[in-house]
Amino acid sequence: MTITKYFHIAKISMRNVFAYKADVFAHSLFIGLIIFIFINLWQVIFIDPNNAIEGFTLTMMIWYLVLTESIVTSFGRLVEDMGNEIQSGEIATKLTKPYNYLLFQYSQNISKSLFRFTTTFIVGALLTLYFVGPLNFSLTSIPFIIISVLAAITLHFCLMALISTSIFWLEEAKAIDFLYSKIVFIIGGMFFPLEIFPDWLASISAKLPFSYIAYFPAKLFVSFSLNDFFKVFLTQLFWIAVIITLNYVMYKFIISKVQIHGG
Amino acid sequence: MSIKTELLLILQYFKINLKTAIEYRANFIIQAGAMVLNNCMWIVFWWIFMNKFESLNGWDLNGIFQLYAVLMVSWGLASMFFGKKGYIAQSIAEGKLDFHLSLPKNVMLHLLHGKASWLGAGDFFFGLMIAILIYPFSAVPLYSVLVLCGVVIFASIAIIAGSLAFFFKNAHETSRTMLHSMVIFGFYPLDIFHGASKIILLTLLPAGFVASVPAMLLQEFNWPWFLALIGATFTFAAIATIVFYIGLRRYESGNMMNVRV
Repeated sequence: MTITKYFHIAKISMRNVFAYKADVFAHSLFIGLIIFIFINLWQVIFIDPNNAIEGFTLTMMIWYLVLTESIVTSFGRLVEDMGNEIQSGEIATKLTKPYNYLLFQYSQNISKSLFRFTTTFIVGALLTLYFVGPLNFSLTSIPFIIISVLAAITLHFCLMALISTSIFWLEEAKAIDFLYSKIVFIIGGMFFPLEIFPDWLASISAKLPFSYIAYFPAKLFVSFSLNDFFKVFLTQLFWIAVIITLNYVMYKFIISKVQIHGG
Repeated sequence: MSIKTELLLILQYFKINLKTAIEYRANFIIQAGAMVLNNCMWIVFWWIFMNKFESLNGWDLNGIFQLYAVLMVSWGLASMFFGKKGYIAQSIAEGKLDFHLSLPKNVMLHLLHGKASWLGAGDFFFGLMIAILIYPFSAVPLYSVLVLCGVVIFASIAIIAGSLAFFFKNAHETSRTMLHSMVIFGFYPLDIFHGASKIILLTLLPAGFVASVPAMLLQEFNWPWFLALIGATFTFAAIATIVFYIGLRRYESGNMMNVRV
């Protein structure tokens, strides 16, 4: 029962996504538009598409972006949504229910996120296939890449949940959401791989969890090696464990401070 | 209703919103400060990029600053004066238009300016600081006209995107993505795009008219582009009005009881 209730929450949430599928598809189309713009941007840089910049050809760079965009944008504005629940006190109504609040949020959002990931990836892949061409990769690497993507999405959720707790003190969800997303976009390597960064910044970024959401899974996608997969996956698990622990501590603190005034 | 009355109403709303914001000073400073930091991240993005590639079809880091000087001030002003621009679709889907329909004010404009987003204050100050640093005082009149056009275009696109909710019900996420995509695309020089993408950035998602074109005009004024920008401003405002009022005929009240404090 303990696990199945979260599975049912995820199932109901997925049904809701299908109820508003036009909105999700439209969102994916806009992300596709961003990818389209980036295809133009990189085409200016790669005068000869067969040349490689820091080990990335034009094709690799665009497929890299398709995967990073699909992962990073899959949760929508979760920090803002969770932050608003804390700020408005709505969290109080959820705390009385017989579930763990964080697991509830995870199961509710993971199905939406996976659906968004899939639609965005399909749109991005179609655009990239048309404008740039296919990526050379081994089919046997797909299960490993899927595992790393799932870990990246989970890590992304854990970080968003943790950052949303700051709303308890800062009282401003949207600005924090923007700031967090920019950190993942840039420091996490969503827009371009860490190889483009100056060495000192690349080494800092590689040590932070943000790059395990975008850069490392996407690097595996465009240039796979089993050794790299194990290194990346183990580090993702390490960061997930660290951030889950921090989340547990933070939410325990918040719950002890929540005041319910009836109504 | 005259334009003067509408402008006065917008100004009154702005004053009330500002007073409210100042009451919660810490929150106001956090919002504006976080947005300045957020914008600094874009500077980091371009610094990394230009550090590696030096120039992008003739645009260097200084050129990028010129884009920001116009784009951020327009977006900041649009956010401060038309703070509900990202929530039009939500208001329509939730039947919250009833309140606006019952008032003797222009429904479309009233829907835009009931609230102020102080995140925009951070964008405004950030863009203004850059503008002060890079543009001479003599550029102020042209700069002001270009910024004003940017504000009108942003408001128009917000209405067009928000009005999608009249036709597709839940279009909240789509309309917000559309609006924010405009800002994101505005960060990139128009010259790097060609063909269909350039046309999209001057029509469907007119990021070019709120960033690259004004930046180009401030660097070297030319009449054809200036007139194109003025024409685009009026065209988008007209399209927004037509789409909104056609959509309004399809609006269904939610019969929801709301208390506005």
